[in-house]
Amino acid sequence: MEGRARKVSPDQRVLGILNTSPFRIAIVYSIAFACGAAALLGAVNFAVSRVVDGSTDNLIEAEVQGLREQMKVLSRSDFIELVEQRSQDQDVRGAVYLMVDPQLRPVAGNVPVWPGIDANAGKWIQFDIQVPFGDETREHEVRAQRFPLPGGYRMLVGHDVQERQDVKNLMMRGLMAAVVLTLMIGLGGGLWMGRRILAQAGAISAVATQIMRGDLSQRLPVRGADDEIDRLAREINTMLDKIEQLTLGMRTVLDSAAHDLRTPLNRLQATAEGAMGMLAPGSAGRRVLERVTNEVDHMRSTLDALLRIALAETGTVAREPVDLSDLVESVVELYAPVSEERGITLESAVSPGAQVQGSRQLLAQALANLLDNAIKFTPDGGHIRVQLNQSGGAPEVIVEDTGPGIPADKRELVLGRRVRLDEARKFPGSGLGLSLVAAVTKLHGARLVLDDAAPAPGLRVSLKF
Amino acid sequence: MHILIVEDDEVARDTLAKALREVGHTVDVAADGLAGLSMASSAALDLAIVDRMLPKLDGLALVQSLRATGKKLPVLILSALGDVDDRITGLRAGGDDYLTKPYHMSELLARIDALARRREAAEASTRLKFADLELDRMTRRVTRNGKRIELTAREFQLLEFMMRHSGQVVTRTMLLEGVWDYHFDPQTNVIDVHISRLRQAIDKDFDKPLLHTVRGAGYSLREDE
Repeated sequence: MEGRARKVSPDQRVLGILNTSPFRIAIVYSIAFACGAAALLGAVNFAVSRVVDGSTDNLIEAEVQGLREQMKVLSRSDFIELVEQRSQDQDVRGAVYLMVDPQLRPVAGNVPVWPGIDANAGKWIQFDIQVPFGDETREHEVRAQRFPLPGGYRMLVGHDVQERQDVKNLMMRGLMAAVVLTLMIGLGGGLWMGRRILAQAGAISAVATQIMRGDLSQRLPVRGADDEIDRLAREINTMLDKIEQLTLGMRTVLDSAAHDLRTPLNRLQATAEGAMGMLAPGSAGRRVLERVTNEVDHMRSTLDALLRIALAETGTVAREPVDLSDLVESVVELYAPVSEERGITLESAVSPGAQVQGSRQLLAQALANLLDNAIKFTPDGGHIRVQLNQSGGAPEVIVEDTGPGIPADKRELVLGRRVRLDEARKFPGSGLGLSLVAAVTKLHGARLVLDDAAPAPGLRVSLKF
Repeated sequence: MHILIVEDDEVARDTLAKALREVGHTVDVAADGLAGLSMASSAALDLAIVDRMLPKLDGLALVQSLRATGKKLPVLILSALGDVDDRITGLRAGGDDYLTKPYHMSELLARIDALARRREAAEASTRLKFADLELDRMTRRVTRNGKRIELTAREFQLLEFMMRHSGQVVTRTMLLEGVWDYHFDPQTNVIDVHISRLRQAIDKDFDKPLLHTVRGAGYSLREDE
């Protein structure tokens, strides 16, 4: 209700943005894009590796093949010289050669130490070597094949694959960066769009709340951006024009129906009263006319109730701040003597300061109807309890009695118009009491719940605002 | 009293005029808003009863025009319209009281009486006196024949209302409106029970009852039987 100013903390505002659909869409999309980027880069990485690795391996294979053939035709010293020569050759960057004697002492090559090789290693081995890098040394990874030479000598031919590794690492880093960046852009964009939509939705829901409070002249803001939200706002405004017309039309119909029914009733009443004045008190004719005026009274109260229900349902009732606590107390006070006369204990616990926005008269009548009902149906010596609770700022009025209650399957029914349960027919009333309560509750955006009183039997009516 | 009735419904107008003449008022009638306005502006009237829906000039517009010319004539608006807000609209337009059709003649007569005497009543006075009953609004003290009477806040308000309208008939609806500010008729006889409590308090220990029930109309604070 309007009486309670809603304060929005920054935390709540952020939470609000997180709960907008653009933000959620942005997050889903950025996750999808990040996955896509990851998959793409992964695939490129895989393909590049395949090609680069393959070509390195081919190079090594060819070199091994060549050296094996040379080994057959060359003497050891010539072979050593060949290996030395190849080792120094700068044309093939990163080529690694090492020839060792049976004691694994290097004989020729550009690697100082024969690597410790796992006996189970296959044809291809991979190991690290120290490479001078400026003043320092760097570990480079080498991929290589080895083969025996005559006389227990061994030969190792390989290739420095560090560069390839560096490229792979770089690509991995790029991949990570791309994923993170996509997510961040998505998040940022989502927050921005969320805020935008929240501002627009906020304006719309503010207007909607005012309209629900009965101010049908309110219209949604159109910013002139001609986007889908503007179009939506314009369409809703057209709809609101129509609703306003219909409601005003209904109001006019109600007014003329009221007029057309009240005028003849008034004539009837006036005529009957005029005639009564000419008859002696207690005469038969006068008694008949008294019955007529009683019926007029009855019709009038039914008509009043129906009109009030209809008015409440059209929502065209003026709203004002109503002190619900005061109202509940005053209605309880109005009914206290009547219930005391019947020996009914009327007890009330009213939390002070509860405010709602609405029609004081309609709320008062709804509360009065509830108490009327409670007193009507509670047996002499029974108990009625009226409470006004405020949990979380939302007032709730509860009326409990020790009457017969309403069977669970008939609760929905009695809120409809003119339903009187058979059990209730022996009591006076129009059968509109609870319908009016239901209409007034709806008008005030409250919830009406009928339940068993605890302890049973009895009816528990709750109006939660 | 000199009363003007502005009402387009002939049956209602004639019965009302007849009933008012019977209780001793002088009555003028007008059948539409314009005629009503010109009569209300010129004649020396004590009260006007104006129907809300009138041909030529709407009842509310009539009252507004009347008020715009500075005329303080008490106006009772009769309405055959809806409910709830209409009453407020009627009073805002400058009406002094508002009654929905169909009404009991006794209700209308009681309200006419109340309106006519409203001008005489010294609204600002803090002490009200009727017979040997005295009520002080400042100290919230009530005495009868010098003897202090204890009343609840609501009983006090009820008594104050009755004393302001002493000698007149006060209807249940008038009490609901004047004391509780409720504009609906409760199904049960709530007002009767409140009055009987008040009667217990002010009349029980005294020979002469002051608070009387007027059959078919309401209540009245008066000395004679």
